[in-house]
Amino acid sequence: MGRVTRRQLTDLPGTLGLPLVIAVASILAFLALGLPALDRAVPAEHAVAAGRPYRVGAGVTVVPPAGATLDVTGTRPGDDRGTALFRLGAVRYAIEVEPFDGDLTAAAVRLRQRITGTSGHQVTGTQLTVSTAGGLAGVQGGYTAGDRDGRYAVFVAHGLTIEVMVSGDDADLGRALAAIEASTSTLRYDTGPAEGRR
Amino acid sequence: MSEAVRPGATRAAVLLRQPAFWIVITLLAAGAVRISQITALFLETYPIATITAILLFGLLAVPFWLFLSELDFLEREPPSLRILAFAWGGLVATSVSIPGSAALDNLIAKLGSPDLAAEWGAALAGPTVEEIAKTLGVVAIVLIARAQVNSVLDGIVYGALVGLGFQIVEDVVFAIGAVQLAGEGDQVRPVITTFLVRGFLAGVWSHTLFGALAGAGIGYLVVHRDRTRSHRIAVAVLAVLAAWASHSLWNSPLFRESLGDATMALLAVLIFKGLPPLLLVLYLVRRAHDREAAYYVGVLATVRDPGLITENELRILGSGSRRGAARRHAAAHAGRRARAAVRRLQRAQAGLAVELSRASADVPDDSVEARAAEVREHRATLAALGHPEAVEGTRSWRHTASTVGTAAVAVAVVWVALSALGGD
Repeated sequence: MGRVTRRQLTDLPGTLGLPLVIAVASILAFLALGLPALDRAVPAEHAVAAGRPYRVGAGVTVVPPAGATLDVTGTRPGDDRGTALFRLGAVRYAIEVEPFDGDLTAAAVRLRQRITGTSGHQVTGTQLTVSTAGGLAGVQGGYTAGDRDGRYAVFVAHGLTIEVMVSGDDADLGRALAAIEASTSTLRYDTGPAEGRR
Repeated sequence: MSEAVRPGATRAAVLLRQPAFWIVITLLAAGAVRISQITALFLETYPIATITAILLFGLLAVPFWLFLSELDFLEREPPSLRILAFAWGGLVATSVSIPGSAALDNLIAKLGSPDLAAEWGAALAGPTVEEIAKTLGVVAIVLIARAQVNSVLDGIVYGALVGLGFQIVEDVVFAIGAVQLAGEGDQVRPVITTFLVRGFLAGVWSHTLFGALAGAGIGYLVVHRDRTRSHRIAVAVLAVLAAWASHSLWNSPLFRESLGDATMALLAVLIFKGLPPLLLVLYLVRRAHDREAAYYVGVLATVRDPGLITENELRILGSGSRRGAARRHAAAHAGRRARAAVRRLQRAQAGLAVELSRASADVPDDSVEARAAEVREHRATLAALGHPEAVEGTRSWRHTASTVGTAAVAVAVVWVALSALGGD
């Protein structure tokens, strides 16, 4: 009869098959479920200085609405592109900047197609021209997404497209829209220092 | 017995009785459901782009699959386990990594800053979650078919296949993400661009490579039982860390903007970020292959039967280039049928070596005789074709010209792709 050596007894995978595969499943569960739970447990909203320009990315800044918080899960500033996500109560106010080599019409068509390409989203009403205090020209319009309403705006300048998406339920949106439109009008292309650059 | 190989065989009936096997199958089923849901969403919104992406990246997987299947010529991994490794990467690791990486990226933004997440999130979150999820695929294979991971090279092959499965599914997801971002509806242009960048240019240095590195560590952990447990665990951890570091370097912002001209910048990224891990894996593969080949050639050398393997054939069986040279010599000397016959003979000789090693490990089996008969049958076929011995001939100018020409075409194609993608 063969003798079982200590080395064979301590042979990791051979002797610990079931506990190890349970450990494997547990690690996977932590990655797939535990990390998202941890993410949800840590607050995402940070305060932003009122009345001061916030750097979205690629030299584009915006003055956030009074009382807005910055949701860091949707905020990724960068040198050639960037996103910023503000929350005003239950209203979501997102700005995205990225390189773009087309004109304003092409940028507007692209944004509308992206909206309608999302399940349940529909563009509503007519599209209007809009401009910012800093001289950026753009267009704006509305859309619906199930029980939520939304507004969009898009600007093209300096080889960039700046897309603004606002969404919330009808009542919340009605209350916040004036402050958000005032904030959108502060969008500007500027290479100077701004809040958010660390 | 050499330390390089731990022979053994897994019986299907034994496999089905293991609880670990059914847990792994359950994980695969859960992953399949999740990836099917994502694919159904893509198909509903962008049917043409999704089908194009699946076809293109599916085709890209074929040469990788064939290469990896041939990598361990002497002891090929069973197709069922190769499929399992690929499926783990494509179904389980991706399903876990999509929410896990996003959550970790968010945590970096929350606990650090949005700037840190924007700059380094992809280099920290993705590699951390994905390398763990992929490495667990090799661990799962060890747990359910331990006897099939009996050399470091086996670990490399399984790790690379897990990485390949992950890479293909991730590339399809990225391609559809690009379609969505383009905002031009159900168009294939963003899919083609993604295919060129992620599949064609970045494919060689991507997850297949990282998975191979981690797999080498798991292979070492399992095979080198002559070393202490702490030593083996340390090597395995180092290998997984090397995979993580390679992935992190690839995703990092380094060299992104410092090299002016876009084509040169892309080339620099490929060389400085992709080449070091590629060279490391090639070194590991070469070393593991040579050690495994020396072991199996040593086993066959004890046979001393020229009907099974001659002295000259023993010299070439352990080297991939020499096996290829023997097949080319057969084709030049006795035609294409002889080339195919040499390949079958070499395959049968490798199979005989594996069965002999298993017999020496007291694994009860009558496969040795069957394999020996197979070798004799292919030998007889070769003899009938007037080419009785599978040996290499002198190197022909045609083969040298073909190698140089292929390399030149490959460099030209890469340069054209770099110029097209970086020249804007």
